[in-house]
Amino acid sequence: MASIQLDGVTKRFGPVVAVRGLSLQVREGELLTLLGPSGCGKTTTLRLLAGFLTPEEGRIFFGELDVTRLAPEHRNVGIVFQNYALFPHMTVAQNVAFGLEVRGLPGREIRSRVREILERVQLRGLEQRYPHQLSGGQQQRVALARALVINPEVLLLDEPLANLDAKLREEMRFYIRHLQQEFRITTIYVTHDQAEAMALADRIALLRDGVLQQVARPEEIYRRPQSKWVADFVGVCNFIPGRVLGQEDGFLVVQTPVGLLRCSGTAGPGRVLVCVRPESLRPQAEGPNRIAGVVRSRTFLGNLLDVRVFCPGEVVLRVQCPLTWDAQPGESLHLAFRAQDAWVVSEEG
Amino acid sequence: MARAAEMARLRVRRPPRSAPPAVLLLLPSGLFLAAFFLVPYGNMVRMSFLAKAEGAAFANGVTLENYLRILQDAFYWRVIGRTFWLAGLSTVLTLLLGYPVAYAIARAPGPRRPLLLMLLLAPLLVGAVVRSYGWMILLGRVGLINQTLRILGVGEVELMYNTFGVVIGLVHVYLPFMVLALASALEQIPAEVELAARSLGAAPWRTFWRVTWPLSLPGVFSGSMLVFVLALSAYVIPILLGGNNVLVMPILIVQMLLDAFNWPVGSAMAMVLFGLACVVLLVYVKTANRVLRWIGR
Amino acid sequence: MSTTVRRLGFLGVTVAIYGFLLAPIVIVVVAAFNAGEYLRFPPEGISLRWFAKFFASEPFVRSFWFSLKLAWLCTVVSTVLGGTAAFYVVRHAGRLRDVLRLLLVAPLQLPAILTGIALLLFFYSVGLGTRGMGGLLIGHTVVSVPYVFLIVSTVLLRFDRSLEEAARSLGASAWATFWRVTLPLIRGGVISGALFAFITSFDQFPISLLLVSVGNTTLPIQLFDYLRFSFDPTAAAASTVSVVMSVMVVWLIHRLVGLEQVTWGGPR
Repeated sequence: MASIQLDGVTKRFGPVVAVRGLSLQVREGELLTLLGPSGCGKTTTLRLLAGFLTPEEGRIFFGELDVTRLAPEHRNVGIVFQNYALFPHMTVAQNVAFGLEVRGLPGREIRSRVREILERVQLRGLEQRYPHQLSGGQQQRVALARALVINPEVLLLDEPLANLDAKLREEMRFYIRHLQQEFRITTIYVTHDQAEAMALADRIALLRDGVLQQVARPEEIYRRPQSKWVADFVGVCNFIPGRVLGQEDGFLVVQTPVGLLRCSGTAGPGRVLVCVRPESLRPQAEGPNRIAGVVRSRTFLGNLLDVRVFCPGEVVLRVQCPLTWDAQPGESLHLAFRAQDAWVVSEEG
Repeated sequence: MARAAEMARLRVRRPPRSAPPAVLLLLPSGLFLAAFFLVPYGNMVRMSFLAKAEGAAFANGVTLENYLRILQDAFYWRVIGRTFWLAGLSTVLTLLLGYPVAYAIARAPGPRRPLLLMLLLAPLLVGAVVRSYGWMILLGRVGLINQTLRILGVGEVELMYNTFGVVIGLVHVYLPFMVLALASALEQIPAEVELAARSLGAAPWRTFWRVTWPLSLPGVFSGSMLVFVLALSAYVIPILLGGNNVLVMPILIVQMLLDAFNWPVGSAMAMVLFGLACVVLLVYVKTANRVLRWIGR
Repeated sequence: MSTTVRRLGFLGVTVAIYGFLLAPIVIVVVAAFNAGEYLRFPPEGISLRWFAKFFASEPFVRSFWFSLKLAWLCTVVSTVLGGTAAFYVVRHAGRLRDVLRLLLVAPLQLPAILTGIALLLFFYSVGLGTRGMGGLLIGHTVVSVPYVFLIVSTVLLRFDRSLEEAARSLGASAWATFWRVTLPLIRGGVISGALFAFITSFDQFPISLLLVSVGNTTLPIQLFDYLRFSFDPTAAAASTVSVVMSVMVVWLIHRLVGLEQVTWGGPR
């Protein structure tokens, strides 16, 4: 089991810079998610880690070993591809055994290891089937088994659940997490689905246009985003523009079109954005941050109500709250939030 | 720990070796084709400018004699004309016959298509000589068709050793090529386009003429170019089915090379024939592009 | 005109044209079994005498074996040349890709008779002459390589590279990956290409016409020479043998690899 370290890694494709100066550390046994919109460089990063690409600048370490220029077959990585990449001309057992055969292990040992791992992923009895005879979920587990049986230093997963339907995706999510923890493998998991990232990861690394935006635990990223982009990408967020006036009782005082607000965070004087999540806004008359407004629209989301409130200064706030609230369009009301639920970021980015 | 030891065992241990350059993959075919394709063609061009020698195939000394000899002789022009005429006629006929077949294949439902394609391509497996022989049996004076006609009391018809026989043979041999080119273009036209035209009130013939035909033109152009060049260079069919009565350039060229042993003139004749063909094709392509642009492709 | 009539008309035309395509070949095979010298209606009876005459004819039999040997050699050489070229062009060529494709397919674009002429002149110019099988083999290979190249290229283009990446990530070297993953999966395409090369060589005419030498004729040339001067159905027997040859090759491929594999895509 090795830790992973990327030091100032840059990868170019002609004039396009896919990954720029990426520095990242993954601890032993940790599951780190690479999250970002398409084209942000997460797949490129994964392929750099796998050895299918060589960076122009920077270095990559697995533990103490500098693998930057090491060929893929010498890195001892386990990879699960988005389309599983199961060998169509081999059975399940042969697929899983492949990595072991290449390492020259004796036949008997190969057979027992294959049997054991297939048992672990609950595919016993399907050894002689061919990939095209399996369901999506089963193929997924074969891909996992094949990658894990070789006891890799590092496990890389490239959007492994993208081709499954929603229900199966949720099941498999927990399953993969469970396996990863059981094997205690340092894992990097690429996805564009933020719900997935938050559910699975020990830490999330957000990428945008090849540049690392923030690396932190999911809760940290959600509650304390470091930039507007991060706040906007992960979950839904309201942004209220304003100007920091000063500090009071450990909170910032910000002058905004909807009034004087008290929030958390550190920011220099100047223009900022106050970030408030929809679920932090409550309809109540009392509180340190009170905003007056008129209900614009109301949408029934099943377990929640999504209400848009039109406030002074052309600020539209989105509120999500339980169904007990009875807001009707056109109704005037007050919204309030706690200072610790709001966070300040600078206006650009 | 046991784990570390186990992992060490499973690590792939092989001394990294730099891979041989990929260019090695190209060398065999590259060298082979350079030596036995490019050089011979270059040599043939060179040969057309050499002079004929006594008792040998060629001698040194650059000359335009060969070309002049060909271009100034009306006899050669007649033969060239006949060659182009036969090629053009065959092209048009293969287009007419090939279109329905191509349409049938393009619109055939899934399981039927491979069968249709196999039947189309089966004759190609067999070779031009065999196919020409088949026509000889059918078209000859004692051939099947004439027998039938004699039985019906019509008398015999000269179907072979003349232009008719040659054209039949050419069309027969090159039909599959035209069909393949047309079918691939027709496949690109979604069937819904024709249905849309019909739903708007166009009768089948009009639909064909205003919708299907223009959209299939790229296939028509590529197919006819292919068949034209093939028909132009045909040797077996004119000789077997035309006898000594249909003289086309390829026959003349081979005669000049193998019988008269005059290689410079033979090469020059080949260059003239295919040089003219290139000119014709160039004009054709330019016209084709203009037409395609005009219909919006 | 009602739809049914039109559809029947179209069907009729299509069937007629297919008949036109296949008639001569069927006729030849029928003539080979015909008892009489000329094909007549009603047929005179079935006989194998023409086959007997064919197998007794030394020139025919010799040319048959010669064609077979030549086609076999040509197939092997073309497959290696065309296959390696396909790998290079599809995976490594970069900017040269289009130029290389053009060069490798060029022998198909130019008339075979022209290529035959060029080779004849060339062989004599460099003093090699056309004795022995060498010149013929080279000539046949020149026109067969493009087929192998095209077919293997197509298969390679459709090949899922992530399979090779998976193999390498599991520890297989580049060679092991090729041998255990790539090759088995493109096998169908390679065999298709080889099949095309075989048929191209076995039925080849223009190139053979110019490059055969005394004592070394191919079956098509032998047949042609025969047909210049006689008309008897021995030629039909020879032709039938040729047809059977082609059919057998296809059948053999079907048994070995399965015809579903012998498409332009390989197994999938």
